[in-house]
Parts: sequence; C-alpha cells; structure tokens
Amino acid sequence: MPTRIELVLLAAFASTNALAADVVAPAHPLDDPAAVKAAFAARIGKPVHVLRLGFGEHYADAIVQNDAAPDEFDRFELVPGQPMKDGDPQKAGSIDCKKKIAFAEVDLAVAARLLGEARAIAAANGYKKPENVQLGSDIFCRTFGWTALLTSETNSDAILELTWAPNGASPKARELKGDHWASVDPKKLAAGAAPPPPAAPKTETAPTPGDGRKRNFLSGIDADLARVEAQNGAPLAIKHLRFDAKSLSLDVFPPNTRKKIATWIVDDDGAIRKWREDDTIPFDCNKPFATNEIPLAQLPAMVAGAPALIPPMAQGWVKGVSIYRSGLCGAPHVYIDVEDDRGFGNVEYDARGKLIAAGVQ
Amino acid sequence: MRSRRLLFAVLCLVTFVAAAADAPPAGDYAWPNLTDFLKRLIEKVGAPVKVYKLSMDRDGKVDLWIQDQQRRDLVDSYEYENGTMSDAIPIKFEHYPSIEAVDHHVIELTTIDFQRLPSIVATAKQKVGMPDARVSSIELERGDSSGFLTFTDIPIWTIHLDSPRHDGRVELSLDGKVLDADKD
Repeated sequence: MPTRIELVLLAAFASTNALAADVVAPAHPLDDPAAVKAAFAARIGKPVHVLRLGFGEHYADAIVQNDAAPDEFDRFELVPGQPMKDGDPQKAGSIDCKKKIAFAEVDLAVAARLLGEARAIAAANGYKKPENVQLGSDIFCRTFGWTALLTSETNSDAILELTWAPNGASPKARELKGDHWASVDPKKLAAGAAPPPPAAPKTETAPTPGDGRKRNFLSGIDADLARVEAQNGAPLAIKHLRFDAKSLSLDVFPPNTRKKIATWIVDDDGAIRKWREDDTIPFDCNKPFATNEIPLAQLPAMVAGAPALIPPMAQGWVKGVSIYRSGLCGAPHVYIDVEDDRGFGNVEYDARGKLIAAGVQ
Repeated sequence: MRSRRLLFAVLCLVTFVAAAADAPPAGDYAWPNLTDFLKRLIEKVGAPVKVYKLSMDRDGKVDLWIQDQQRRDLVDSYEYENGTMSDAIPIKFEHYPSIEAVDHHVIELTTIDFQRLPSIVATAKQKVGMPDARVSSIELERGDSSGFLTFTDIPIWTIHLDSPRHDGRVELSLDGKVLDADKD
C-alpha cells in the first residue's frame, strides 16, 4: 500500500513539466510537512540528493545535487503560500562538502518534531526560540544530520548546538565554551538546568571626553602620555606604543599585574578610552618599559626627518610610529613607517636616539 | 621616428582585435578598443612601451601597467574605459622593486600578439568545457604557470571564465599554448 508521500512523489516525477509550472508552497509547513516535501519534489522534478535543507514555518530551502548530472547543484526556496521558483544554479566550486542523502529518504515530519524539541529546550533553558532546523553536514564535513543552533539574548557568545541523525535519532547537545565545545547532558537540558553562561563582564571603562583641541600625534605625544598615565593610576608599564597623525594607542600592563595587557586609545580630539584588556601571551616578551626609557623629546624631530633618511623617499610622509622592545626582548626601539606614492620604507632608532637603520621596504 | 615605427607595428597588431571589438559575437566578451587605447598611450609616453601587467575586466575596462622609461624602477598604470584613457597612476608596491627586477618582469609591447586574443579565449573555453561561459577577466603578466614546472618567468595570458554553475581559469603562453587549466 503506497503512502501518501510516495503517491505524491510518483505523480510529481510522472508529470514534472505540468506540475512544475504552478507549484505553490503549503501555507503552514509545520502542520503539513509531507506537503512541503511534495512541493519540493514537484518543483525539483527529477531524482536528486540533498546536501542541505533548512526547515521552519516561515521559510525552507534546499541545496540539491542532480543524480543524473553530479556536478549540477541547485538551490530551491519555499515561502509558505507562494509559488515556488525555479532552482538557482549553484557554482560547483561553492559546494565544500558533498555529504548528502537521497531526497526520497528525507522525512520532514521528523524535522517538524525536532524543531518542536529544540524550541522546548530553548524555552526551558532560557535560549531564544530557534527559527529552523537544518539538515546537512557539520563545518568539517565529518557528520551529516539535523542541527538546531540556540542563541541567547543575554550573551551573544553563547551557542547551544543540538544535533540528531537524519532519522531524528541519537540526540546530542554541546555548548560553546570560549574556544572549545563541551557536551551537555540531555537530562540537564530536559530539566531546564543548562542556561546560557552569563556574558563576560565588559572591560571597557567610560571614556574620558576630548578636550576640544585637535592633535597631530606626529608632532608630540608627551602630554597625552601623561594624561593616559593619570587615567591608569600608576606609571605606565608599556609593552607596545604606536601612533600616527590621528590616534595614539598603548598596550600597558595594568598596575600590579604582568598577566594582563590593557589597550588605551587616545583620539585626535583628546578623548581617552580603555579599549580592551586581555591575558598576556605566554613566552611573549612581557618586560615593560617606562616613558623615561624612550627618546620622547626627540620623537618629533625623528619623525619629521625620517623620509629624508631614505634616499628614494625624500618626498614621502610618515605613516605611523611604533615603539617596542627590539629583537627577542631587547631595549625599546622606535620604528618609523614611511610611505610615498611608490612604496614603503622604515627608519629605526634605538632608545638613546641613535639611528639604527633606514631603507626602503 | 622609433615611436612612429612602434605605433605602426602596434596598429597592425591590434587591428584584428579592434575589428573584433567593433562587432563582438553576441554573448561574447565586451572587447575594448585596444587600437585606440594603445595608439593614444604610445603618443603619450613614446617608445618603447614595456608592459608590467595588463588586465581587462568583465566589462572591457583595461588596466595597463607599464615601466617608466625615464625612471625604470617605477611603474605606472593607465586605465582605459569607454574610450577614455586616464593619466598615469603611480603603482605602489609592498616592496620597492629594483630596476633589475622591473626590467626582468616587463614584456615588450611589440612581442604581444593581440590578434591571438579571440582565439586564445576560444581555446580557454574549449579547454575547460565551458563553451557558453562569459569572460570575467583577462590578464597578462610574466610569471611561472602553476601547471608547468618552469622557472623561466614567461609571459602568461590568464583567462578567467564564469558560468552559472562553474568558474574556470586557463593559463596560456603568448603563442596560445595551454599551460594550465582548472575548473570548479
């Protein structure tokens, strides 16, 4: 005894052209997933495999591979109640993963059930309601099945991924923790005991407003370093300092720690803000230097004279300046980047203001 | 005198392409009027014209990089679009090239057989099995073909093709020999 789906598919394949002319998507996909599949079948009109299929009440789409011409891929879209358009040809090169399932084996009733499960889990645990479930391969092209991604209103970094086999079996869940995934016990999800982790506290402090005076940092940074130092609350322990005409930024160790690096930015109107604070990088040079270790008073002259030190770039201009410890963890050096219409050059001074190198890049 | 001879030679060379440009086959590439462009360029910069790189985009806009014969370590770009040629645009390299490097890289304009271009494009389409593909860009620059193990830095035409289902790229020598082809 053929099922309803099989009858619809037979009819679709038997009279492809007649049906394809006026295929209208069902108005309520979740209430009648079999009709959704029948509409796709009629619009596609030939035997295909499915590489990806998204399914929700507002929208569904599928990327399929022609069984008779394996390098032909098309994307079909379904909007409830609307006529279905022809497939949109896809570049073969854009198909990164060729894991697939025969269209006849796709069960959209399973998809509707899984979407309901995902929404129940989202509601129980405080995630946003997912729009759809997707059938396809994971990003590394290792597995193939249904996926629902749950995100959080309160923490934009929180992601809970629910996966199932193509037949809806073998449910799994994992959450993103920093830079790795951690499995989540399905019992905890069912009990509503796996809420999204709280958002990390923001390290950005309220900016100090500008003082109305426009700066050109290439003409001097002494006064603004003193202003940042006042904000920092302690003498500056600098790891990296860089500036151009319009901005000055400093990576400094916060007072009383060598395990963090804070980045301060001064805009050309004088506004100061602590942009971010990160952990230091192990084995990096984390030996700070102070402002009195660099030739601050000579900097404007060094900057102004840098292009002339590079013979073909006398007409050039200074693009930016960096000050950091040279070599592996040597004394702080001043590196001046020069630019002209034809290329780039570099000038390097040591901490005492002695010219080390000047040349085109 | 040398400029005039070069101009005459170039005009002879590009006349065929110019004719193709006037009446390109339907759906084919929007051939730019290279005759007009090169004639005006030679009038402006004189001889010899040494090509660092030539590129033509989907719409037939041409970007030609040539070596400055007064400062041979410098390269200027001249753009040609809808019958208008730009002034020289200085090319900025990530690393300042030496005169020797630029001398080695450039291709004498007179050695470029522009008459071959339409057949080169046809060969490229045939090679990757994309007879109805559009030309998305054409480039000429000296280099090593990824399809040939050579270290000779030969001038290479690269034809980029585009169709709804595939992209193609074919490298050919100046005389139209296919060096490498790929399609995805």
